[in-house]
Amino acid sequence: MSFLNKLGIGVGGPRTTQGARHEVSGPIHLTSRARTPGAPAPQAGPSRGAVEGESNRLSNGLKELLWNLDGLERGTLLDLGPAWQTTLSFFIERGFRVSSEDILFAWKSFLNEEEARLKQDFAAGETLEMTPSARATRFMKENLQYSRSSFDAVLLWDLLDYLEQALVKQVVASLTELLRPGGVVFAMFHSKKPEGFQRYRVVNSNTLQMVPTAVLCPPQRVYQNREIQDLFGRYRTMKSFIGRDQLRETLFIK
Amino acid sequence: MWKREDAKSQGVAENSSVASGFGKSQSFDSSNSFSDSSRSAATIGQGIRIKGEVSGTEDLFVDGFVEGKLNLAADCCLTVGPNGNVKADLVAREIVVRGKVEGKVIARDKLQIGSTGEITGEVQTGRLVIEDGATLRGTVEAGRMEVSKADTKAVAAAATSTANKPSPQPTVLGSGTAAH
Repeated sequence: MSFLNKLGIGVGGPRTTQGARHEVSGPIHLTSRARTPGAPAPQAGPSRGAVEGESNRLSNGLKELLWNLDGLERGTLLDLGPAWQTTLSFFIERGFRVSSEDILFAWKSFLNEEEARLKQDFAAGETLEMTPSARATRFMKENLQYSRSSFDAVLLWDLLDYLEQALVKQVVASLTELLRPGGVVFAMFHSKKPEGFQRYRVVNSNTLQMVPTAVLCPPQRVYQNREIQDLFGRYRTMKSFIGRDQLRETLFIK
Repeated sequence: MWKREDAKSQGVAENSSVASGFGKSQSFDSSNSFSDSSRSAATIGQGIRIKGEVSGTEDLFVDGFVEGKLNLAADCCLTVGPNGNVKADLVAREIVVRGKVEGKVIARDKLQIGSTGEITGEVQTGRLVIEDGATLRGTVEAGRMEVSKADTKAVAAAATSTANKPSPQPTVLGSGTAAH
């Protein structure tokens, strides 16, 4: 084993899982927020059960988003995450008219309602088309109902990782209609299946806070670059920032 | 932890303190920090259902069901309690929502949404305070709002004229609040 391998940073040769863990979730990573702006990696072993607090991550994507929106006198923004005081205040103070719609929460409520309806009325199961696509269409009839080209920016966060694929396509198509030409979508994608569930809120112009919450929806899939490009094929520019926490921040400019 | 530091850096200390404070009290009383303690509030209780237009010149606490319009004069506070279910356009100086609201919300001075509060509809307010867990589905326009004098006078006039009319039955609303 080479000297570098002994230190756990070698290239090639047999890699132990222990070495890999050192690389990803060593104590430095977990404790030094200032030094390592990325999210703390998921802990392994028994200590995993401990409640992880809110943590901050530097967000180049947010920084880039704001740079793109700079100069807008009265921008309009659609936030598809929960209504956080800090996020709304941040954009409102910058003169934005903010629309808020927690899509993941709405999707979960929608699924619960459909399930309850089917339990109550078995006949409804015969009249309702239960394919994922039909379900997504029914959901979209009640959500994201805004005028065309009404937003300069959309905060999509990591929602696509948690939605059914049929719905993802419809959501992205709808957002494309809602965005003005030149408008920006700020999305995040996990590079591997996320172990926990968290929501995000804006702390300042280059920092996001990750807030662990109860799981609303289980993760559906991990998108590869090619799939993301296909989904957002109607956008002229795509710019990604990959963090050490396996989270890709991506900006799509229409 | 982060809240304190964040609030200081963002200049929203006032908001944060109010947000943490107003969740403690479940009823609209003089101990609430957001209203003039010398005023009492009219109440629409949990078992009351009103369809139509409610207007008034005093504070109002709604813990029942209201459908239609709810319009209070320029210096009045409106609180939707945790059991409140309001499907109406709301206008007041200050609005606190701990229950469900569906409709346009205009709080000239401040809108507070408690952790149990749910608003679906357009929001216009001078200042916005949202507790974690609150649900807001709609468009928010916040900032200094011009108080329409004509609007204020109209509300006051409507409330006064209704108050002067003999009431056919004992009212659960305050003297300055009217349901049409």
